[in-house]
Amino acid sequence: MGILGEFPDLFLTGLWLTVQLSILGSIGALVVGTVIALFRVSPIPPLRWLGVAYVEFFRNTPLLVHLFFLWLGLGALGFRFWTTDTFGTIFRAAAVGMALYHGAYVAEVIRGGLLGIDKGQIEAARSLGLSFVQTLRYVQLPQTFRATVPPLGNIGIALIKNTSLASTIGVAELLQAADIVESRTFRSDEAYGAVLLLYLVLTIPASLGVNWLERKMLIAR
Amino acid sequence: MRSILVRVSALGVIAAVLVAACGGGGGSTTASPSAAASATAAAKPKFELASYQYSIQTKGKLRVGTREDNIPFGLKNPATGKFEGFDVDVVREFAIAIFGAEAKADPDKFIEFVPVVSATRIPTLKDNKADMVAATFTVNDERLKEIDFSTVYFRTGQKILVKKDNTTIKSVADLKDKTVCTAKGSTSEKNVAAKNKDAKLLLLDSYPPCLIALQQGQADAVSTDETILFGLVKQDPNTKIVGDYFSDEPYGIGVAKGRVQFVPFLNKVIADMIADGRWTALYKKHITPVSGDIKDGPHDKGRPSS
Repeated sequence: MGILGEFPDLFLTGLWLTVQLSILGSIGALVVGTVIALFRVSPIPPLRWLGVAYVEFFRNTPLLVHLFFLWLGLGALGFRFWTTDTFGTIFRAAAVGMALYHGAYVAEVIRGGLLGIDKGQIEAARSLGLSFVQTLRYVQLPQTFRATVPPLGNIGIALIKNTSLASTIGVAELLQAADIVESRTFRSDEAYGAVLLLYLVLTIPASLGVNWLERKMLIAR
Repeated sequence: MRSILVRVSALGVIAAVLVAACGGGGGSTTASPSAAASATAAAKPKFELASYQYSIQTKGKLRVGTREDNIPFGLKNPATGKFEGFDVDVVREFAIAIFGAEAKADPDKFIEFVPVVSATRIPTLKDNKADMVAATFTVNDERLKEIDFSTVYFRTGQKILVKKDNTTIKSVADLKDKTVCTAKGSTSEKNVAAKNKDAKLLLLDSYPPCLIALQQGQADAVSTDETILFGLVKQDPNTKIVGDYFSDEPYGIGVAKGRVQFVPFLNKVIADMIADGRWTALYKKHITPVSGDIKDGPHDKGRPSS
């Protein structure tokens, strides 16, 4: 893996962009997913329809197309994600794409968690005088997040891997670093091999973190 | 008299096949030495059995790596599904040189086009997915370590494409802090980085998205070989090419290493094309409509003019 030492700047900035994209994308996906899941269990029909439409739209279309739409598609309409810097626009488009796309999967997991809570608990909460929102906030959601840690962890790891698609719209993340190194050295085996290992450096700690969180939540229960 | 001549020449062909087969260390001798076989052999150019062009002739298909989106060199016409462009027509000449008169009527019958992009050209050859790559392929020392190249059949240099109303970018020196779009896995990225390290490089998979980025003002310039820029100007007349050549881009036909006698054979075809005017005809057909000039060969006109 001497190639890592030959192009430390390229690989390090690539790794850092991948990390940023993964973290921002995960936070965004969690927020979007929770909101959409609440839409889907809401007592108001139009909100439920909106939730269903969102999940089906993003789950049934390719992430790569979303990235191009968010960058060049919205770009054609003059939308630049509130920045004049092209690389800023591209990075934000990529982060938003990650959040919107994976948000659909998060929504399904959280909806499953919400539905998995015993109806008796909800009825008890409501009869104690808690409102619909209070029931969600204090009874349903805390238990839901606990139960959904493993599947959410899976989505998070998939998101880290999917950030590699952002290289196609010009984000200089890990895969693009490998592309540049490959075109300078023609050592494709080493360049892409090194990047595979760097992805493992990100995903394996993430897996371990999810396992740890899962154990911790179990004790709390 | 005539029949005796035919018989004698047929015997000669058989003898040559046998001798060459022995010399080649056990090549195929399954071809039946009948009159029919010698008749088709007479229609096709003859090659030594050990040569790579002979094995292509035997297989009946020349596999060629070409680009599908690179006007005016390699383009798959979306309306007809046929390949067009300067590189493609050069490849057709190779097919005619290998398969003979039969290929002249419809060379495409003997060609299998393998789509490539900048970054997949060398892997396509190394993995033996194509016999040659003809795709605005710049010959350079680093690539020569990996593959072989024919002689230079086209020569150009790198320039800069900007919007027509742009007055600030006139040369590569003006690209400081400007966003310059180019394709990954090409020499263009390295050339810009070497000439102006303050240029901000936006690297995409091919040039059409670069053109969109330029149109939207998200890229200040697109930079690559002038001939590729010609194609982009043709797509969007609202753009213009500026500055002098800041690189020398000699195009060659890429071939995997170890192809016996293949490169000298390709070189001969290229030299013949230039000598007998076929090259100029192709230049007039594909390049003149976008460049406005006429050339009679790949001279060193593409060298940096600085």
